[in-house]
Amino acid sequence: MKKIVVPGELLTAERKRPGEHVFMQNGKLYSDVIGILDDKPGDVSVIALEGRYVPRMDDVIVGVVGSEKATGFMVDLNSFTQSFVSKKDIREQLKPGYIISARVLDVNELKEAELGQIRVFYGGEIISISPVKVPRVIGKNASMLDVLKRGTNSTILVGRNGWIWAKGGNVQLLIKLVEKIEREAHLENLTVKVQDFVANANKSVKPQAFAENPALEERKAVEKLDKELKGMVLNNESDSNGS
Amino acid sequence: MAAKKKEEKTEFVNKQGKRLDGRTTDQVRPIKIQVGVVPRADGSCYLEWGQNKVIAAVYGPRECLPKHTASPYKAVVRYSYRMATFSVPDRKNPKPGRRDIEISKVSSEAFERAIFTERFPNTAIDIFVEVLDSNAGTRIAALTCAAVAVADAGIPMRDLISGVAVGKAGGKIIVDMNKFEEDAPDAVDIPMAILPNTEEIVLLQMDGLLSKKEWLEARGKAFEAIKQVYELQKQALLKKYEQPVEAAENGGVVQ
Amino acid sequence: MSSLVSWDFRTDKVLQAIREGKRLDARAFDQYRKINIVKNISENADGSARVKIGETDVIVGVKMITSTPFPDSPDAGTLNVGVELLPIASPTFEAGPPDKESIELARVVDRGIRESKCLDFKEWSIEEGTLCWTAFVDIYALNHDGNLFDAAALASIVSLLETKMPKLEDKKIVKGEYKGKIKLSRKPLLCTFAKIANSVVADPSLPEEKAQSARFSVAVTEDDYLTAFQKGGLGSFTASEIDSAIDIALKNTKEIRKQI
Repeated sequence: MKKIVVPGELLTAERKRPGEHVFMQNGKLYSDVIGILDDKPGDVSVIALEGRYVPRMDDVIVGVVGSEKATGFMVDLNSFTQSFVSKKDIREQLKPGYIISARVLDVNELKEAELGQIRVFYGGEIISISPVKVPRVIGKNASMLDVLKRGTNSTILVGRNGWIWAKGGNVQLLIKLVEKIEREAHLENLTVKVQDFVANANKSVKPQAFAENPALEERKAVEKLDKELKGMVLNNESDSNGS
Repeated sequence: MAAKKKEEKTEFVNKQGKRLDGRTTDQVRPIKIQVGVVPRADGSCYLEWGQNKVIAAVYGPRECLPKHTASPYKAVVRYSYRMATFSVPDRKNPKPGRRDIEISKVSSEAFERAIFTERFPNTAIDIFVEVLDSNAGTRIAALTCAAVAVADAGIPMRDLISGVAVGKAGGKIIVDMNKFEEDAPDAVDIPMAILPNTEEIVLLQMDGLLSKKEWLEARGKAFEAIKQVYELQKQALLKKYEQPVEAAENGGVVQ
Repeated sequence: MSSLVSWDFRTDKVLQAIREGKRLDARAFDQYRKINIVKNISENADGSARVKIGETDVIVGVKMITSTPFPDSPDAGTLNVGVELLPIASPTFEAGPPDKESIELARVVDRGIRESKCLDFKEWSIEEGTLCWTAFVDIYALNHDGNLFDAAALASIVSLLETKMPKLEDKKIVKGEYKGKIKLSRKPLLCTFAKIANSVVADPSLPEEKAQSARFSVAVTEDDYLTAFQKGGLGSFTASEIDSAIDIALKNTKEIRKQI
């Protein structure tokens, strides 16, 4: 069983390299968040179980366009502050409320992100999960994402910031699955459990296909991102309802 | 009338060392803590401490508005302690009074020490605590509850904040006074909160007549009681992740 | 903005001095600045005083007013402490309703006096349930050079010691006529300490307040009772720091009381 630690909990008095979410006090190492202890021979770190998104370089995020400024747009990406996108860097016409994906090009000392490679997505849903649990949504070698894709028939784009864009297929089931992952992120064999849940749900209720389906160019965009991001993104290839 | 009677001959601690509500002098009232009660919030907690009932929600770190209140060096901690109108024997005016503002101020200062605020410049961390029912010791109940909510929000902190109110009634130093004891003619109330690891004091107030010797006794008792409070906070946080899966799918109801 | 820059500059100096075991104004760590007390500075007030601690300057006026007693103590009068941090006193003070700083200051001064039981509120009852005396103690900061807390508390106690009880006729106050001074059985005084770079100093000056990580105030009486604590500021104190601050407060107030 993985050990869960709380803020201020003593991790070790041994000399180890403090990793993420570990701080030193009077020569001993303590956790600064609630999370899963990762105690290795040489270093010790804590994988946070809660918390807001802290932008990191090269992350792909899903954001929502906020207010328009003279030279660009503010984008909400579920972080401490909104990020700015310059009008110079975007080809599409943005409007407040539009859903976009973007890559974090740089992060300044105030942890504000500079965004690039903007793509716009029309329609669909944003499903929110704690950013620290995003790796669980993807799983080892995108195994979890694969289960989600097959189970729901949706086109899915997972942002590192904890926002998941989904369109088509059984989005309602996807929401339930993401909620399950969120709740049980700290448990083992999660992929198997989600698989069982999907099988159960599809047995009892015939999945009601979501009326809205992504346009071809949208799916292509996701497909392209998918290749770029090595399994971060899923395009549902078995989606037969596409135009 | 009741006050007069009390002044004449109330014995707050009997010969067996028991208080009027049956507790010993260093016994804390029963505490119940539940984490994650406000799904919309980044972190939240509900706490019962004897008759006291408080709920805390944490938002942030988030954009600090108005902008001029932000600091380029650290996150600003904003703590709001409020009492519901029905939480006291009379109806409380919903407008925050001087007491609410003072408690909010000293509590936010306690959190400034506990949270690694320097990691989140230009942001605000908002902590809202509402007292739903009260019977002495609400500021400590609120602070204890809020500390768990801040941890639940995943905000990096040096330690939880744990506290207790110690005091004096009928000449005896007692831990975690109830309202009746707090109304004793010689009552002294000492709300105190520490970071349990380093035992540094982050909140300390007192009112009443107290000798230095009594303070030392009260302080010792407080530190002992705080250890118990800390354990309960810790357990509550861990419990969120021990919940049976079936129960979680059932909307959090354990059957 | 220029003042801000110079304060930041001095904060460095304060920290450096404290680390070397010194204070910028060459005081010992437990030493107060010069205290100057002037009584009865206002003819219209029922009691008043002006207190200077170093350059910090505070005036207090007391008005005895008849009012309705609180429902939970129908047979007792009451005390009401207010603080006005006048824009006169500092470039950082703004006109307007009391902010949290002045509310905290007022409440700490209030607690120090009230909890010492130096005022017999029962004596201030005029007619049970309907009429009683309320002492309005209003504190005005005139110049802020650090440690407003102690100056305000000292000025309040001196004012109360000078406060005369107005004469009553038909439950109405007779203007300008009095029936002797109000009684105070104790003289609680407040002592405030600043924690700066792991040291604790008494009576912080303004540059020291800017450099402090935390503040601790304790009100003490002449019979060595402690009547109020207040920890403020973003930092923390150890238990032994609190204990030694209490000892210094008990010692220092004995000197200050000689001046009252």
